[in-house]
Amino acid sequence: MKNPLMKRLPRELWQDKGKYIALFLFLVVTIGFISGFLVAGGSMKTAYDNSFEKYNIEDGHFTLAAKADNTLIEQLEQESINVYPLFFKDITLDNDNVFRVYQNRTEVNLPCLMKGEMPKNDNEIAIDRLYASNNDIAVGDIVLMDKKEFTVTGFVALSDYSALFKNNTDMMFDATHFSIAIVSDSAFETLSDSGLTFCYALKNNDASLTQKQAADKADDIKDILVQNGTLTGLVKQADNQAITFTGDDMGSDKAMMTVLLYVLMAVLAFVFAITTKSTIEQESATIGTLRASGYTKGELLRHYIMLPILVTLTAAVIGNILGYTVMKNVSASLYYGSYSLPTYETIWNTEAFWKTTAVPCIIIALVNVLVLARTLSLSPLAFLRRDLQHKKKKRVVNLPNWKFKTRFRMRIILQNRAAYLALFVGIFLASLILMFGLAMNPLLSNFKTEVIASQISNYQYILKAQVPTSISSAEKYCAASLNLPNGGEEISLFGIAENSDYVKLPESKNGVYLSSGYIEKYHIKSGDIITLCDENNEKQYSFSVAGSYDYAATLAIFMPQSTFNETFGYEQDYYNGYFSNEKLTDVDDNYIATTITQTDLVAIANQLDDSLGSMFSMVCGFAAIVYALLMYLLSKLVVEKNAQHISMIKILGYTDREANSLYNISTAIAVFASLLLTLPIDLLAMRGLFEVFMRELNGWMSFWIAPWIYPAMIGIGILCYLVVHLILSRKVSKIPMSQALKNME
Amino acid sequence: MYLELNDIKKSFGDGESRTAVLRGITCGIDKGSICVLLGPSGSGKSTLLNIIGGIETADSGSIGIDGNHVEKMNEKQLSLYRRKHLGYVFQSYNLIPNLTVKENIEVGAYLSDKPLQLDELLKTLGLWEHQGKIPSQLSGGQQQRCAIGRAIIKNPDILLCDEPTGALDYKTSKEILQLIERVNHQFGNTVIIVTHNDAIKLMADRTIKLRDGMIRHNDENTAKISAAELEW
Repeated sequence: MKNPLMKRLPRELWQDKGKYIALFLFLVVTIGFISGFLVAGGSMKTAYDNSFEKYNIEDGHFTLAAKADNTLIEQLEQESINVYPLFFKDITLDNDNVFRVYQNRTEVNLPCLMKGEMPKNDNEIAIDRLYASNNDIAVGDIVLMDKKEFTVTGFVALSDYSALFKNNTDMMFDATHFSIAIVSDSAFETLSDSGLTFCYALKNNDASLTQKQAADKADDIKDILVQNGTLTGLVKQADNQAITFTGDDMGSDKAMMTVLLYVLMAVLAFVFAITTKSTIEQESATIGTLRASGYTKGELLRHYIMLPILVTLTAAVIGNILGYTVMKNVSASLYYGSYSLPTYETIWNTEAFWKTTAVPCIIIALVNVLVLARTLSLSPLAFLRRDLQHKKKKRVVNLPNWKFKTRFRMRIILQNRAAYLALFVGIFLASLILMFGLAMNPLLSNFKTEVIASQISNYQYILKAQVPTSISSAEKYCAASLNLPNGGEEISLFGIAENSDYVKLPESKNGVYLSSGYIEKYHIKSGDIITLCDENNEKQYSFSVAGSYDYAATLAIFMPQSTFNETFGYEQDYYNGYFSNEKLTDVDDNYIATTITQTDLVAIANQLDDSLGSMFSMVCGFAAIVYALLMYLLSKLVVEKNAQHISMIKILGYTDREANSLYNISTAIAVFASLLLTLPIDLLAMRGLFEVFMRELNGWMSFWIAPWIYPAMIGIGILCYLVVHLILSRKVSKIPMSQALKNME
Repeated sequence: MYLELNDIKKSFGDGESRTAVLRGITCGIDKGSICVLLGPSGSGKSTLLNIIGGIETADSGSIGIDGNHVEKMNEKQLSLYRRKHLGYVFQSYNLIPNLTVKENIEVGAYLSDKPLQLDELLKTLGLWEHQGKIPSQLSGGQQQRCAIGRAIIKNPDILLCDEPTGALDYKTSKEILQLIERVNHQFGNTVIIVTHNDAIKLMADRTIKLRDGMIRHNDENTAKISAAELEW
């Protein structure tokens, strides 16, 4: 015979529809979003992984100061590699954005045409899809480049530029101010050679090389190129941020979202457990009778956890359907909003199904079993007597001689401490999400402000060759870049002129000054010795740290020009760059390797803003929903648990308003206290998470929370509670006086 | 004897506050009989009923039911024992509020391999017309009838009733007692009724009167009358 208790389930669902609908919708949205995220992420990651073979992505590339002759190419190809010329020209547009222009590729790093057609004529161009989207460029539009008009014939994604890093050393890619572009061979020839780079892609003949073998081979190639004397840079595929950043980021997002899902599920599981526990308390005598009649603990436990599991399972199935349909597109658009990814096909994701269906059900079941098994382990007699305390003697908490109402409310809080504890944990989590949503935009703005405030000069030039200028504000400096040991991130080194107008270094003959971000990121102190490597020449350099210099844009080391030249073995008057507040109009572009402006320095903040900006408001909305949901469910529980008593105090003569002020204000106090107490914990958690996030990136952004965020968070929390309070006030008003009389035993 | 209690002792509390509730109860009850446990509040009658029902354990003594010793059973065996042999009826009906009358009785039927015929029982209980109602739509008497139905549908060997009429008016109380009597006749269960209503002893085959945890009288009723004839 089927257990007749099963027939309760649909009625239970209907009777407590407010609770179950709220939990169900929240579960559907959460699971749907995360399932969509994992499905889209998984499908796109597969497309990304397959792109290495599909688009024949390079194993590395190198740049030379001059075009390689056939002898060098032959020498290199004897190392069982193929070398493909991939020359490009960096062309600065009138709006200071940069197009990196290539001829069409047919052998290596093949393009994926996302829309339109590839350029055929001399006045046609295909540009990156994401750049076009960020700059509102449509197929058919005209762009002005190198003083010529080009018609945009199509949007492409280049497999070696899934993240649009202009330079591999950049802290962050910039899909708003930098794009790759493809023109016809003849159009390429007509473009100015000022930004021409002799770049060669290389591909190992043996595709089965291990990462170590490929790295060793790249080292052999580097040796040949170093001997040749024209090498200006070599980047292995594994070190190429433009290729690998996307894949790495996709993985880290997945882990973050999965953890978020599990934490939310754990909180919801506690909500289910606490509300079910309250139902068990209300049905105590009935349970006692059933147990006395022969029902086992296990049968009753299965009965009480059935509904939470069924609701979660149904929500997970519907959430997954949404994940594969609607939500997948939302998540895909987030990825497409950040990266220049090729097209993808949705594929079945077993891992996502497991994580978003089985695991939530297991978490809900596990937490409920843990909480309810203890309650249901009481004897039938204890249930019949409604004595559900595990401790024999209940300890009475003595309260100070407060006013009656205060003591009454405190008793309510003590009576419902489990519910309020769950509320506290829920508010902590929701506040953390809210803090993230609110804080990121101001944090990015603050970073930009700091970068601009600590900017050395309006224009920072790096020269290909020493060239004089008549601009009075120009000041010579030296620049180089070294890496942290073991392929660590790149550090910029500046040699500053004596009595510099731009960089005021404290007078110290011993040691160098590190940018504040460098000090903060790697926890370096004055007097420490740091070691950096020149990966091209395999040399190591050690520096003694004298102090910090306020420079937010990159991780950098500042030292006197003389020290710089001495360290690197240059002549005393060597320089390779200019700081200037004015544009160096008298220096030919052919002598300029790079011009760094404010736009370049704030690229990381802009990129995060572009790709995540729209998500921040979504995150705030989500946090508000979590607030309201938890507050509603747990406050409702307190009212329902005390319905009998509320009814009784109404009989005694208390008005609805007074009953409300006793019971709902207790919850209001708990909510307000939780909002206040979780704030510093959230701040610590947020700081920790942000630092972990920043350590994954090149460079550093200091953690900063705008002061208005704290009152805003409290305000949003209170606002959510006010809505809940109104609903609960109505609930209290609706409790009839007859309830207390009916249930008297 | 079908049910044999031998020197049952039970105390509550520790140290100085320790109170002996049962001080050595020895008695027997015949199979298929109606036995009334009478006594004032605190006399130990409900505790004795709970010990027979296996939901409370005695400090010492033995309880034999048809040769099985309840005091030697572990929790799992006790559950099985209650499931197979016992039906419980309480003063507060303890019905499941969101199940109908029929479904509440099915909750009892689920525990038995050979439950009684449900429709027939509903008619016996006078609940046939009310089988689709939920407990809140029933009167107190109807709710208690439903609780009795839930207890006897599994055709238990022993029906334990703890103040079954305690919450009911005179007329309804008599109806419930008549029902218990009818059930006893029809299905041959042993019925033990805990009550403080002295009149009920007249419908019983045996009356055991407790005071201060001891049996003061244990009488076979030779002048048994039907429940319909009871007056108080």
